Amino acid sequence: MIGHRGRMGAFTALTIFIAAALTGPGLARAEPEECEVPAELTEIDVKLTRVAERLHAHQPVTIVAIGGASTIGAAAGQPDLAYPHRLQVALTRAFPDAAINVVNKGVPRQLTRQMLERFPTDVIAEDPVLVIWEAGITDAVRGAPIDDFTDSLQNGIDELKNRAIDTILVDMQFSRRTTTLIDFDKYLKALHRVGELNEVYVFPRFDMMRYWSEQNMFNFDEVSPDERAAVAGRVYDCIGRKLAQTIKLAVE
Amino acid sequence: LPEQSPARDIRLDFFRGVSLILIFVDHIPENILSYFTLQAATFFDAAEVFIFISGFTAALVYSRRLQAKGAMYMTAQVWRRTWQLYVAHIFLFVIFIAEVSYTVMAFNNPMYNEEMRVADFLGEPHVAIVKALLLQFQPTFLDILPLYIVMLGIFPAILLGLRYQPALVLVPSALIYATVQVFGFSVPAYPEGHVWYFNPLAWQCLFVLGAALGYHSAQDRPLAAGLMRVVFPVAAVLFAIALVIKITWTIHGVWEAFPGLFLRALWPISKSNLALLRLVPFLAAVVLVTQLVPANARFLQWPITRPLLVCGAQSLEIFCLSILLSALGHFALSEYDSGIAMQLAVNAVGIAIMCLTAKMINWYKMMDRIPMLQPALAGSPPDDRAVP
Repeated sequence: MIGHRGRMGAFTALTIFIAAALTGPGLARAEPEECEVPAELTEIDVKLTRVAERLHAHQPVTIVAIGGASTIGAAAGQPDLAYPHRLQVALTRAFPDAAINVVNKGVPRQLTRQMLERFPTDVIAEDPVLVIWEAGITDAVRGAPIDDFTDSLQNGIDELKNRAIDTILVDMQFSRRTTTLIDFDKYLKALHRVGELNEVYVFPRFDMMRYWSEQNMFNFDEVSPDERAAVAGRVYDCIGRKLAQTIKLAVE
Repeated sequence: LPEQSPARDIRLDFFRGVSLILIFVDHIPENILSYFTLQAATFFDAAEVFIFISGFTAALVYSRRLQAKGAMYMTAQVWRRTWQLYVAHIFLFVIFIAEVSYTVMAFNNPMYNEEMRVADFLGEPHVAIVKALLLQFQPTFLDILPLYIVMLGIFPAILLGLRYQPALVLVPSALIYATVQVFGFSVPAYPEGHVWYFNPLAWQCLFVLGAALGYHSAQDRPLAAGLMRVVFPVAAVLFAIALVIKITWTIHGVWEAFPGLFLRALWPISKSNLALLRLVPFLAAVVLVTQLVPANARFLQWPITRPLLVCGAQSLEIFCLSILLSALGHFALSEYDSGIAMQLAVNAVGIAIMCLTAKMINWYKMMDRIPMLQPALAGSPPDDRAVP
């Protein structure tokens, strides 16, 4: 099976090499090849109208990233390397005229219901135009009732909708080993369905990370313990870039 | 589950066998075959089939014991069976703990360190193990046996109630179910904040219904034909509507452009609390099957059906095995290769192991039932015995 992965990796590397050769160095610099994902994972069919208004009026944009440990990003070693900050960097590069601020409101090991309880102080108080809500890991790990999970998501989405705040949901992290212990499938499907029913975009972090894992972009089995933080940082950076890319598409 | 009885309705074995295979398939996450199981086309799934038939067969078998040998003996037999289920559950739990310990020790992904800590019941094994013994610790996929154990534990009371005062069983059962639907009561589990995935307050209703019909059937009293003439068309219409709706949901899940009918209005449908939207189509299916599939249906005799009948007849062992096999299958898929060919291979191997094991157990039990000849008698020529 190692052979299988190796082949896939070589094939992708070749494709990316050809693509880079054809499009010239400009693109290669803007988008490190290791963040590549299949095109269908970056499709977005909703518009972030409030973010678009602010950006086009060159007004400041405040984004709140609420979520769990992977929002705090402690695995990478420092807050600058967490995905919300990487998103801010990538967005600022894409919209140099706008003052973009991404506020990190990650708290580890919280159920979606507990995140919802933090909304008044951590979300609404920041007066954001866009909320990026990363949810479901703790619910899946703890096997929380799926109805509680979907109810909490629904209540949160309703609250943000009532306050005219744009919303993006972010699904779970992928990790090959954890999927054998934890039933993510149920929670993933529920999260995506809630997003669809509310016409809220769900950023497919799980599928992207799985793709990168299959492409051997990150494999914690093969790096020494002191290199792990760097690998985690690379993944967070890619997630930040991909999020920035989809937000850019959704405000055009 | 209980042993062979003279007038065995092999439809029960067949459908329970099918439900065991489907439980195995559905328990492997992201399995391509799960698009072809009950849950892809109906609001209910194999769990309803399993629990209902378990209630039905329990009433069928133990009501005969009750009649032949009295309430004490029946209770003792039911509780012996409950004990076997309990031991099987603990056995599966030990295997689960081994899998968790192994994975946690080898775990090296810093991106999940924080989140995995909540699964860290290994930090307090003294509590976790006691909670498991009390059926309060129910890891993923080890959640249906606790329900079954509790149901069988109270079954002697259910059966005696059905015999002497059916209303005393059926009315409270329906009331408790209705209360859960309205107020959403659940039963707490371990760790803190968890609940029983199969809410026994809701699911008891299906088990009791199965038992009531099984008891009725054991008395050889056929259901009133006049009643069936009314119920059958209603059931057919309900089942068909639910079928069409759920199939559009499944297609919609794969291909978003296809509309999921009433998705916005009906989703989500609670499995934990056995929502009416699951229960009603299931009962409709029961009516359709009992009317359309006679006990002597031709297909039940086909050689290809045989392994399913045998699996259904040895359901406890095969159920436990299926839980184990789906965990191993999932492990193989995520550790090595999750391509479609590998998925199909995992399904095929798993189902083959289940069928072969059932066949072996069946053979062993059959051999066990053949009485042994006394060595002294076996050694002496038959005509010696004939002459006094």
